[in-house]
Amino acid sequence: MDSPLFGPKVRRALAVWRFLGLVLLGALIGGVAALAAVCFVNAVVWLNDLLLISPRGRMMAADPGLVVLATLLVPTLGGLVVGQLHRGLPDGRPHTPADAIAAVQTRRGRLPARAGGLSALSALVSLGAGASVGQYGPLVHLGATLGSQAARLLRLGRSEDNITIACGVAAAIAAAFNAPLAGIVFAHEVVLRHYALRAFAPVAAAAIVGHVLATQWLAQGALFHIADPAVPRPWEFALFLVLGGLGALVAGAYMHAILGMGRLAQRLPLPVGLRPALAGALLGLTALWVPDILGMGQETLRFATLAGAYGGGELLLVLGLKLAATALCLGLGFAGGVFSPALVIGTLFGALAGTLVMGLGGAQETFIFYAVCGMVAVTAPVIGAPLTTLLIVFELTGSYALTTAALASVTLASPLAAQLFGRSLFDIQLAKRGLDLSAGRGRAVLQEARLAELISQDAVTLAPETPLERAISRLGRAGHGEAYRVDDEGRYRGCVTLAELEARREAGTARTLADCPEAPRPVLGPQASLWEAMHRLQQVTGEAIAVVDDEERFLGVAYESSIARAFLHHSDALRREEHGAG
Amino acid sequence: MPARRWLPGLPARLLAGLLSLAALSPHSAVAEGPEDAGPLTVLSWGGAYERAQRRALFTPFTEATGIAVEAARYNGGLSDLRRAVADDAVPWDVLDMTRSEAMAACEEGLLEPLPADLAAPAPDGTPAAEDFLPDALGRCAISHSIFATVVAYRRDAFPGRRPTRIADLFDQQRFPGPRALQRTPAANLEWALLSYRVPREALYRLLSTRRGLELAFARLRGLDEIHWWEAGETPVEWLAEGKVVMASGYNGRFFAAMVERDLPIEILWDGQLQEHETWAIPRGAPHPEAARDFIRFATSSERQAELARHIPYGPARRSAAMQVTTHRDSGLDMRLHIPTHPLNTQRAVTKDEAWYARTRERIEALFREALLEE
Repeated sequence: MDSPLFGPKVRRALAVWRFLGLVLLGALIGGVAALAAVCFVNAVVWLNDLLLISPRGRMMAADPGLVVLATLLVPTLGGLVVGQLHRGLPDGRPHTPADAIAAVQTRRGRLPARAGGLSALSALVSLGAGASVGQYGPLVHLGATLGSQAARLLRLGRSEDNITIACGVAAAIAAAFNAPLAGIVFAHEVVLRHYALRAFAPVAAAAIVGHVLATQWLAQGALFHIADPAVPRPWEFALFLVLGGLGALVAGAYMHAILGMGRLAQRLPLPVGLRPALAGALLGLTALWVPDILGMGQETLRFATLAGAYGGGELLLVLGLKLAATALCLGLGFAGGVFSPALVIGTLFGALAGTLVMGLGGAQETFIFYAVCGMVAVTAPVIGAPLTTLLIVFELTGSYALTTAALASVTLASPLAAQLFGRSLFDIQLAKRGLDLSAGRGRAVLQEARLAELISQDAVTLAPETPLERAISRLGRAGHGEAYRVDDEGRYRGCVTLAELEARREAGTARTLADCPEAPRPVLGPQASLWEAMHRLQQVTGEAIAVVDDEERFLGVAYESSIARAFLHHSDALRREEHGAG
Repeated sequence: MPARRWLPGLPARLLAGLLSLAALSPHSAVAEGPEDAGPLTVLSWGGAYERAQRRALFTPFTEATGIAVEAARYNGGLSDLRRAVADDAVPWDVLDMTRSEAMAACEEGLLEPLPADLAAPAPDGTPAAEDFLPDALGRCAISHSIFATVVAYRRDAFPGRRPTRIADLFDQQRFPGPRALQRTPAANLEWALLSYRVPREALYRLLSTRRGLELAFARLRGLDEIHWWEAGETPVEWLAEGKVVMASGYNGRFFAAMVERDLPIEILWDGQLQEHETWAIPRGAPHPEAARDFIRFATSSERQAELARHIPYGPARRSAAMQVTTHRDSGLDMRLHIPTHPLNTQRAVTKDEAWYARTRERIEALFREALLEE
């Protein structure tokens, strides 16, 4: 790449071509990911109609007995299938956008094809069978996997892998919502978490292709339809702000319900493979009473935006049940996203607020504003993407008035939820798996980089019974200032410095190494991260840190200089990725 | 017709087009079968519609083939057809049906399946499958026209303002006066939900829920004075008499009233419900061979364009829509008056006929229960 064979002019020309190639690749990935997304969305609609999950399918089935039977059996059997599918996954759980975020934030990249494909399939079964989960999460992960596979196919580097992942994500969102701007911003805001022109162009190309394909093949109406956008009165913006604050609490309740149900599921005396079926059975049983909670809930969402479609009590009931049903489905192992149910719950919440305000004499014309503000207030914190949610509102409604109202709502919702609960559900889940993204990408990369690669065998190891004289001459010959005591069984017995040995010899207080006091020095395991090593270095004045396994066996040393070099290398790669233009 | 099948490749298209023209000539029609030469009976909707069909289709067909055409009249519905097929005494050869009824009748086995190559290619050789609108060629029926159920109002009823949106149908504060609506759920339910600002793409999914139906019924119940009509001419008459100030009805009838009778009415295109009108052949038709010839004749681009010059229904094939010009009698530019004109389709709803074909009876029962039995 930076070959000395070429002059700077040639190199610049090569860089331009490489960059253009990356943009083209982004467009290609966008095409594939968008096609996959369109197929996925259409397949879910088709399955829901066929399996009598969607209202349309249920209405068109003439026999009411058949509908009852389908309501009970389809989610249960779907759960059984999903349980079996998940046995084929490495860690027994479907992969989600959190995995794509982790791959990019740690620069690990390389999303596996098998896990991605199986996760998408099991999400398709879950959604098709009417589980109360979302479709956008699986689409995002599917797009990310396709992007990563393309990078692998072309043997591209980690930086390119990250960009192609972002391309797949942007195209999936652009296609599924028919909102290209939201796709681009989502890829930056949630997945890349930095802004670089080098990434922007391919991501934008992918989003445009996704948008074009979606307008061709996805016959979806706008999520909202605003005929005569009434303009809210000035004081209503204050209400939207408050609504945002309260929405953050609803978002927190939603996230913690999902996490809590996941913990509860661990204690269930039921094999993992059967848990989704249990969730499906409970869901079907409840849906006989309140069918609104089945599936993604697009009809429920629409009704919640219509003043008078639900009574206040009904709104509260459906909101509570939808939240519980989603937590149940996701907690017990159905595959699917968290976004669509959050949209429904948020809109119901906003509608509830709107109904209250209407009851007090306001909001006769602006009911939809409350519904939308509730929607963004709950969804933005859950996915950690205030800008994306705003853009989705803008691109779907084309209404500037509505977008500014949503802005008021999200202003309080996102930071409040971030303070109280965490940046997003994905971040909370990753933190529970040991990846803390709260301090940004620099730390995540260092946490993921393993010390093992830095271990050097170029160190003086001596048995504790070695005479002082011999130890000093060995150190002198090797040109090292430190020796590591290792006993017959290979166990590490502390570190001694040349200075200390000399001092003991002159004072005559020691005969062998064993008599010398140990230099205060931490040790590290081979699985320790670079981040941990950097922190340990602060306590060290010396050449290196010994690396020791669980049974205290000595594996080698990590030199201070090589740790620092690795740190610089990673920082440099990040800097180039995030600030380079081409 | 079978002769065309072996013609391979693209250059054959032109030849095929010529041959298909030849197929319309009297010789090919009489050469086919030993049917008795009785007149062809076409079941259609009467009124201005039937007059237009007679001038654009029936008479030219008789001139071309020597087969006389008699028109029978009905107001839609499948019960007569069901009875006739069950009694094995079908009096009609060709049916002019709405597509939803044709789909339901096809599923019930009341119609003869049509050969896939029945419709002729466009004059330029474009195959029928590409020339017709999507989903126009069914198993038992071929769409020939797109008609719309629209709302029309008396121009003199609301001094100083005029309805511009379908929601105005339900706004008796700004547009006071009695309404006339069709005694069926179709159009009424769609408009009721549109008035809540439901996007048109979501209409049938929402109408599939009890909640959606209740919302629609509530909107209709909110109207002060509804007169329910059944025959297509009735709303025109009521508007003419001033019995109602706003009425739903078929766009062709309203056009005829405006142009031929000079009635002071205006069409509100917002929310127009587009529907396909099809040709079909009932099972056990007395002259099936002549019936197929008639359908092939009547669905040709030339005849479709001609029909649209008599009554403002949008041709179901693109090549015909391109040829629509002026009204035969008044010289009006017909393109502005057909439902498929871009100016009129901005918020048009396409009737979900698959949905109606499967749910008609249940929805009608709910509709009667909610609105008519009080």
